[in-house]
Amino acid sequence: MLEATIILQILWTSLATASYYVLFAVAFALVLKVTRLFNFAQAAIMTIAFYTAFVAVQWLAWPAWAAFAAMLATTLAASYALERIGFEALRKRGVSVMFVFVFTFMVSEFVDYLAMLIFGTWPQTIFPTMFWPVTLVGNIAISAWDLPAMGATVGALALLFAFMRFSRVGQFMTGVADNPDLAELYGISKRRIFLVTMLIAGAFSALGMFLYGTRAQVLPQTGLSLMLFAVAATIIGGIGNVAGAAIAAVILGVIQNASILVISSEWQGFLLYVFLFLAIIFFPNGLRLPQRRRFVTAAREALVEQDAPAAEGKA
Amino acid sequence: MEYLDGLIVIVGLYVILAASFNLIIGYGGLVSIAHPVFFALGAYASAILARDLALPVPLAMLGGTAVALAASIALALPSLRVSGDYLLIASIGFQLGLLEVIKNLRFTGGSSGFINIPPFLIRDFGRASYVALVLAATAGVVFLVRWIARSDYGRAMSAMRDDELAFASIGRNAMWMKIAIFALGSGLAGLAGALYAHYFRFVTPEQFELLQSAAILTMVVVGGMRTTWGPVVGALLLEALPQALAFLNLPPSVLGPIQGLLFTGLVLVFMFFRPQGLVPAQDVWRGARAAKESR
Repeated sequence: MLEATIILQILWTSLATASYYVLFAVAFALVLKVTRLFNFAQAAIMTIAFYTAFVAVQWLAWPAWAAFAAMLATTLAASYALERIGFEALRKRGVSVMFVFVFTFMVSEFVDYLAMLIFGTWPQTIFPTMFWPVTLVGNIAISAWDLPAMGATVGALALLFAFMRFSRVGQFMTGVADNPDLAELYGISKRRIFLVTMLIAGAFSALGMFLYGTRAQVLPQTGLSLMLFAVAATIIGGIGNVAGAAIAAVILGVIQNASILVISSEWQGFLLYVFLFLAIIFFPNGLRLPQRRRFVTAAREALVEQDAPAAEGKA
Repeated sequence: MEYLDGLIVIVGLYVILAASFNLIIGYGGLVSIAHPVFFALGAYASAILARDLALPVPLAMLGGTAVALAASIALALPSLRVSGDYLLIASIGFQLGLLEVIKNLRFTGGSSGFINIPPFLIRDFGRASYVALVLAATAGVVFLVRWIARSDYGRAMSAMRDDELAFASIGRNAMWMKIAIFALGSGLAGLAGALYAHYFRFVTPEQFELLQSAAILTMVVVGGMRTTWGPVVGALLLEALPQALAFLNLPPSVLGPIQGLLFTGLVLVFMFFRPQGLVPAQDVWRGARAAKESR
């Protein structure tokens, strides 16, 4: 009985913490899908987001909503600058993929060192305390942080889905992701779509860091670790598959949390690097979902069967 | 005098690191940030072999080099099997993950470091003999990289780097060439690590963090990629800068970030305003397509 309670508790905590992992993975996967860039500078955006909220709450004593608004503003500004000053200039110069890799990584490292210089190397949180009141439901402890965090993530994902599906700009993003040159022939501005993608990723990173920073301690290097988690989820989810990255992030989060049952806590952080390697070695093209393929194939076959009598009728 | 000897040894070792990294990123076109971890593997393996397994130091040094070489193959093989892009991602995980392992293992000394590493040459022949050994190794590595780059193999390397498809279409195996370049470069970093361990006789995981990745990359980018003397100039300049900063007597909590800002900032500035570095080679950073279009 105790075993079942522990397992349910771990599952619940994993699902709750997955709220920020999913946001980081979606941000990384979306930029990779649309702009085809491994944007390691996302770690820099995440660091900027956290320390903006930290300064707003701890130094300026702003309320939480104002701190969130401030972090959203700085991350959007940083994403805008990164796209317009960095990536756009690099695209114009026709630089190699290697150059972009090194550039984004160095931007992240630069912001890390800047954060270290200003805020020191000790852990910080957005609010003075990271402990939230807990309610027992059955024997499962549910903190006051869990449901709002999960709700915010689900809301953000629903908004993104609706935006991609129903808005013109969202549809243009899919078009540019599929074939940027062809999309441009149809009058879609790649430049604008790349910027919108970076801004959405920036907003997701900000929300993710707000959730993370209100529940856990953050160091200047935390952004890089969290981003590597997103990279592993993106690879396992299948490059170009944003929903796959989100699902992979949830699964990896559950595995990492559940690992406490079998390995000691000091090795838990090491699991991230194991994920990264396993992703590259075994799932470089993402996990294939055979059932989904079968469903698509079956649907296609059904359509062919429907068309065949119609074609015969016409003949 | 001891300070000067130590400085010459450090500069020499960083020249080895920069020259061997130039082989990987410059001539091989492979992006990795894990060079410091091969430096660490060489240092730790050689130190453990000499201190705990009582192997003669020259053999331990060879062992350290071999461990770094073998580990680099283990990293490159799965990532390059997919694509060159995955090497960078894998290298970040390898760098951070392996340091995490070193910090948590007892036989590596954990976070507090590995101490009492047996010295080599210094007790019998004085510090100057070790300085001479390091300088000989440095010169050897610089000229080895130069010789490889100018040999038939070097021309094949540049063909592979500039147009992998054409290279494969004439029956050459690009993946094995990349693995060979990566292994050689990383093995040389391991040699530098082994030479470091038996001079300074103390190593900690913090010495091989991402700051070192940024430092080595800066040396190659600022000095000039795909040139013999670029990494040498870069290593000399960028080892002199921290020494100058050390005279400011800043606390370590400020000095570390300032060095990091200096290294990463210099890479960014050079990438945008002087991508060819101080010692220029042609078309270093340009994409193959862009280079073709300009012809």
